[in-house]
Amino acid sequence: MSELAIARVDQELWEIPSSARSDMRVPARVFADPELLAAIEQDRSLEQLVNVATLPGIVEAALAMPDIHQGYGFPVGGVAATEAPDGVVSPGGVGYDINCGVRLLALPLDDAELGERREALVNEISRRVPVGAGGKGSRRGLVGAKLERVLEEGPRALYEELGIGSEQELHLTESQGRLDGARPGSVSPRARERGAGQLGTLGSGNHFLELQRVDGVYEPEAARAFGLRQGQVALLIHSGSRGLGHQVCTDFVKRMDAALSRHGIELPDRQLSCAPLDSPEGADYLGAMAAAANFAWANRAAIAHRAREAIAQVLGPDAARDTHQVYDVAHNVAKLERHHGRQLCVHRKGATRAFPPGHLDLPAEYRGVGQPAFIPGSMGTASFVLAGRPGAMERSFGTTCHGAGRRLSRTAVRKQVEGAELRRRLEGQGIVVRAPSARGLAEEAPEAYKDVGRVVEVVERAGLAARVVRLRPIGVLKG
Amino acid sequence: MYRWVDHTAEVELAIEAATEEEVFAEALAGLAELLDVEGEGLERRRIAVGAPDRPALLAAWLDELVFAAESEGFVPVALESLELSARGVTATVAGRLGDPPPLVKAVTYHRLAFEPCTSGYRATVVLDV
Repeated sequence: MSELAIARVDQELWEIPSSARSDMRVPARVFADPELLAAIEQDRSLEQLVNVATLPGIVEAALAMPDIHQGYGFPVGGVAATEAPDGVVSPGGVGYDINCGVRLLALPLDDAELGERREALVNEISRRVPVGAGGKGSRRGLVGAKLERVLEEGPRALYEELGIGSEQELHLTESQGRLDGARPGSVSPRARERGAGQLGTLGSGNHFLELQRVDGVYEPEAARAFGLRQGQVALLIHSGSRGLGHQVCTDFVKRMDAALSRHGIELPDRQLSCAPLDSPEGADYLGAMAAAANFAWANRAAIAHRAREAIAQVLGPDAARDTHQVYDVAHNVAKLERHHGRQLCVHRKGATRAFPPGHLDLPAEYRGVGQPAFIPGSMGTASFVLAGRPGAMERSFGTTCHGAGRRLSRTAVRKQVEGAELRRRLEGQGIVVRAPSARGLAEEAPEAYKDVGRVVEVVERAGLAARVVRLRPIGVLKG
Repeated sequence: MYRWVDHTAEVELAIEAATEEEVFAEALAGLAELLDVEGEGLERRRIAVGAPDRPALLAAWLDELVFAAESEGFVPVALESLELSARGVTATVAGRLGDPPPLVKAVTYHRLAFEPCTSGYRATVVLDV
């Protein structure tokens, strides 16, 4: 339970002043409503956010989205911008799963048209998309792509070498699926070994692939721009950079930890290990992180390709051809962006970029309505498609939330929910469930998460992003 | 002995042991519980890692075991020998080859601790799962 004094700034914003602890450089601010804040105060989230506020070069405030929960180093749902060139970059501020993110595909049919083929489709996707990460599972990954080129160019390498994806999919991906400045040479042999066989695999934990139906439209114009309509079937893919990204983070947390005293940096938590952006360690990390981010975009592209094959198998080649990608967004990444006239390194750890209408970094199709951001809820509840709003540029470095946010630990939820019973309950709601383990299923039960509806209402009222459509799960493949 | 401490999103391992060597043995036992696989026969792996201090060495030790599980499906079962120096640990680990659940992404430095206490030593390490 947090003992930090937090004061309300306005209806959706709360603040711990920089005077609260002597090592804070800026205030810590949380977007929340009273009920969400009460849940946030139950774990170490706010202490972790205050720790972030001590980072050298951090500007304005350490920010948290309403789905904030306790993580390691940074809280999940944290945003921190540091000023280049002297400010720091922190690998823990991105997380082990570099460019963990979400891709949404829209199928050319409604739930009613899908009908009883729903189960066959989930089964076929389950057969084609490997889930786990370890042991023999790692050798089931997509092979053939040249890893070096994937690290350099992301999904474009898969498109040009293997015909996976399309120009349009690359176009409708954040940063076109490629962060500039990738340095494959800074990705260690061990990271390459872990990642080489994992391209096109989902991973574990909270990663998933969900078949959904659009069951609410809030902004018809934006929904039309995104190619979404009431009743339509969609496919949400949540995965990241797999073992390759995990190892890049591990390597650089260690390397920067060893260099802290040389840079004269003192930290309240070793996991905040960091280095100045213009230092050799900082520049190397940014290059390796960009390579891992490119790998993650390629991973989601490969998973989408396999899902499209499943769609062709079950629904026919026309359905596969007419399935379109809405967008693909990262929610664990650090990017160099201009905000408020300054060149900043924006760390988003469990937070999504949400640029508003008119932003030049958006694809032309979406420039009139704002960037799509996908906010998964949990297996049994809604997910949302949002669109970025101007308030995000004013208040949160162009950022919104990334999910519902965990409320209960894995142990606590297993005490409340039994995997087989949860499966029966979800299937009773008409949701087809495929999961490698009952334990893993129970750990991701809806009870483990906050109310995603409440989370997105807060970011909407705060002016960061607006709800465009609501999605309800009809099939779940859990990692 | 080791125990799991409640953490909202990750897994926190808390260890108390009479000696430093036993801290490493308990950490292995905790990871073995998470990665448990069935199988016949034991394989052996020689593991050698280094780090500038004890907490980082404990993280490096677990990290090496996580890597063995992910890269070749080697799941530790028992510690056969372990030698500790100021900045390194060398050990022979018996384990099984299998298809362990991909539970552990990484070993973090968050609240990482390894320090003397009245009963010997205590350590804390948070695993990203």
